[in-house]
Amino acid sequence: MHGGDAMSRLVLVGLRVGLGVIFLWATVTKVPDMAAFAQDVANYRILSPVLVPYAAAAVVGIEIVTGIALVTGVVARPAALLAAALLVAFTGFVAQALLRGIDLRCGCFGGDERASWWTIGRDLLMLAAAIAVATAGERHPRRNPPLAV
Amino acid sequence: MATSLQVALLCVAGALLGIAGNRFTPHPAPLGAGVVASAEQPGAVCEDPRASIARISVEEAKPLCIACTATFIDARSAQEYAAGHVTGALHLAPGETVEPLLPTLRSAAMVIVYDRDRECSAANQVAAQIQAQGMRDVRVLTGAWPEWLARGGPGESGACGSCTAGTR
Repeated sequence: MHGGDAMSRLVLVGLRVGLGVIFLWATVTKVPDMAAFAQDVANYRILSPVLVPYAAAAVVGIEIVTGIALVTGVVARPAALLAAALLVAFTGFVAQALLRGIDLRCGCFGGDERASWWTIGRDLLMLAAAIAVATAGERHPRRNPPLAV
Repeated sequence: MATSLQVALLCVAGALLGIAGNRFTPHPAPLGAGVVASAEQPGAVCEDPRASIARISVEEAKPLCIACTATFIDARSAQEYAAGHVTGALHLAPGETVEPLLPTLRSAAMVIVYDRDRECSAANQVAAQIQAQGMRDVRVLTGAWPEWLARGGPGESGACGSCTAGTR
């Protein structure tokens, strides 16, 4: 294996594990108060009130599964694609709220962090990492199929 | 297995895990009951128990306006301000510079910021700008301008004082 390949593979593994840890950390901050997270979701004013608690619980579950898959490297590519889809949705939700002038907590990592353009920038960075991990298997199908550690 | 199928399975498994596991969390999301936005809850216009800016109700703010013991800031547009505002209120929209108003604000015991909508997003932003200038007692008016009017709070109309003369 060439040095450059080893380095790029190491970077991709770092991105995958880092992204997984961030997703798992996001769930750790939400699980202690799921009711508050559901309220944060409701404040985006996108979903019907009846769907809000289900969506909040589902998002946390999907984040757990995605985080574990990314950290362990099992089904890493589908997990990276799912992470990218989630991040696109999160970015869209925050952007529409900011454009509508709605002042709200982003609900990203629990606490009182307010949604801002910085939140969108951070989501886009994570989205870039997710896309890099998801496409890596396609660029090197034989050498680097699951991006396992 | 096709990648798209794996993605779908991960998504469904995660969603089911989250919904099934919700009841075991310390404060579960109320599945089966609707959750509406904070500002849409009855009697909760602009009220947010976790807001970083303190709130004040119209009933509490009216006597302070009449006694001139609080300075009011109107965070709506200049046109809306000119059409009608709390008596003696200064105008400061989000993003506008606070400096011209500082002498007046520094002499006030309390600053009360209001706008027109249920979220009070403009009032929140302006209140945060004022707080950043070192003002300690800054509040956002719950109920906003519509409730001030509905409850007969003193109002007046005219040009924007902060735009024309710096301070009132």
